[in-house]
Amino acid sequence: MTVHGFITRPFALILTLAVSGLPAAPRVYAEACPGADIEALAWLDKMSRSLQEVNYHGVVTFQRGQELQAMQVSHSVVNGLVTERLTELTGQGAEVVRVNHPLECIHPGNRLLQLGAELQDGNCGVARYYRFSMAGGELVAGRQSVQIRVEPRDMYRYGYVMELDNETGLLLKSETIGQGDSILERFQFASLSYNHDTAPDGGTRLVHQAHHPEPEPRTLSTGGGRADWSVNWLPQGFTPTDRPGPGSERRTYTDGLAVFSVFLELLSEDIRPGEGVVRTGSTTSYTRGMHIAGIPVLVTVIGEVPLNTARMVADSVEEGH
Amino acid sequence: MSEMMRESLSALMDDEANELELERVLAKVAGDPELRQAWVRYNLVRAVAGGQHPAHPELDVSARVRAAVTGRVQGAAGLRQRFARPLASVAVAASVAATVVFGGQYLARMEAGNYGDQAVASSVSPVGLVNSLGATSVQASYGTQSVPVLQPATRTAYQELARQRLKKYMQEHAEHAALNSPNGLVPFARVPRIQE
Repeated sequence: MTVHGFITRPFALILTLAVSGLPAAPRVYAEACPGADIEALAWLDKMSRSLQEVNYHGVVTFQRGQELQAMQVSHSVVNGLVTERLTELTGQGAEVVRVNHPLECIHPGNRLLQLGAELQDGNCGVARYYRFSMAGGELVAGRQSVQIRVEPRDMYRYGYVMELDNETGLLLKSETIGQGDSILERFQFASLSYNHDTAPDGGTRLVHQAHHPEPEPRTLSTGGGRADWSVNWLPQGFTPTDRPGPGSERRTYTDGLAVFSVFLELLSEDIRPGEGVVRTGSTTSYTRGMHIAGIPVLVTVIGEVPLNTARMVADSVEEGH
Repeated sequence: MSEMMRESLSALMDDEANELELERVLAKVAGDPELRQAWVRYNLVRAVAGGQHPAHPELDVSARVRAAVTGRVQGAAGLRQRFARPLASVAVAASVAATVVFGGQYLARMEAGNYGDQAVASSVSPVGLVNSLGATSVQASYGTQSVPVLQPATRTAYQELARQRLKKYMQEHAEHAALNSPNGLVPFARVPRIQE
């Protein structure tokens, strides 16, 4: 059953997969996807599931250049409903919460990392776009980890070095690697415990309820929701994260690891064509002033992708479907 | 029309309104014919007082300006801080509209070096895009008064646009990144300022 593009599965099946540890990978799958490290892909699968299913709370640091942020995160599952919380300990001190997110609501990005069954069908999925390999992990937040090195197979995405908890598969540390092996961004647990959330402390100045795309009946999607603009080029392996409503000014795409969004603004004034870029950490903000069917528009691509990707995506924006 | 709105409108024409006020006024102007009339009238008075002949006093420009303002107030405020108010001499309407269409001499005051590390050094577009160099200030008519609207011509201007759009859109992007990348809610850490 599919609701709004998200794959829903029987709850019991997910739990079964979660507790069964790493699936043994027959050799035949490896041959179907040359160069794919089956062990690494199994860990990736496990990581994606543990992100949803494991109860934990801890302190995370997030580093971009000279900037270091610290935040408290918690994740708890009660009766198949996930509650997540992120509280900034630095900067703004804002809090982001997501409550009662159904465990069986698997978004496209996570789905792309859960290759188990796909590999059997000869669909190499994310392994077609990245080369995954295992390496010895280090100690992160007091937990022994395994390391997965993720190397892009084309120029349209970044690489990653990920450390996963040796037992639970939880992503403990992730570095985004740009050109010349430079580290663009680093996310890392400083402390971590696996149990239910303790009551959040006070001092939060602002609480933001994380959004969730509105599920819409699939039957209505034919014909009715025709958008008046479209993105006509995507790097291979990127898929829409949701189904934008008619007239939506945003499109978001993911390959499972990287995400970028495209925004369109119709301008009331003419604009001289040009482009501008700002980059922070692994985030690229690329804005292009152009004309579509004679109408001046501003196309902005924001995401954790290289500039060239953003530019090519912006260049492919056209009128119509 | 309330006295307060009248004052706001007047302040708007006298370049004293801040951007937040401007947005509020324009929101009202859009839905209030009387207020719209007043907007045109003030424009007329101003243009005549300034020795300019109003070109099209009947022209309702508020919708246009409003469209330019909507959702861009934050960016405009950021711009202001950065410039230490060099835009004060320009009509507020123009300066706010300029968050969409802007550039030129005001931007030239920004020290390009400040952003050097984040800028992509003289990148050549593989898709055949040519960046225009040099800024020209052109006259754009907002109804009766002529206000300078500067076309985005310099790389710096577009870079500022990209910076504003990053602020504007990062949270919406993070909402989807949080559901579709393996870091949970951590993508929100990339949002410059989280809004409720």
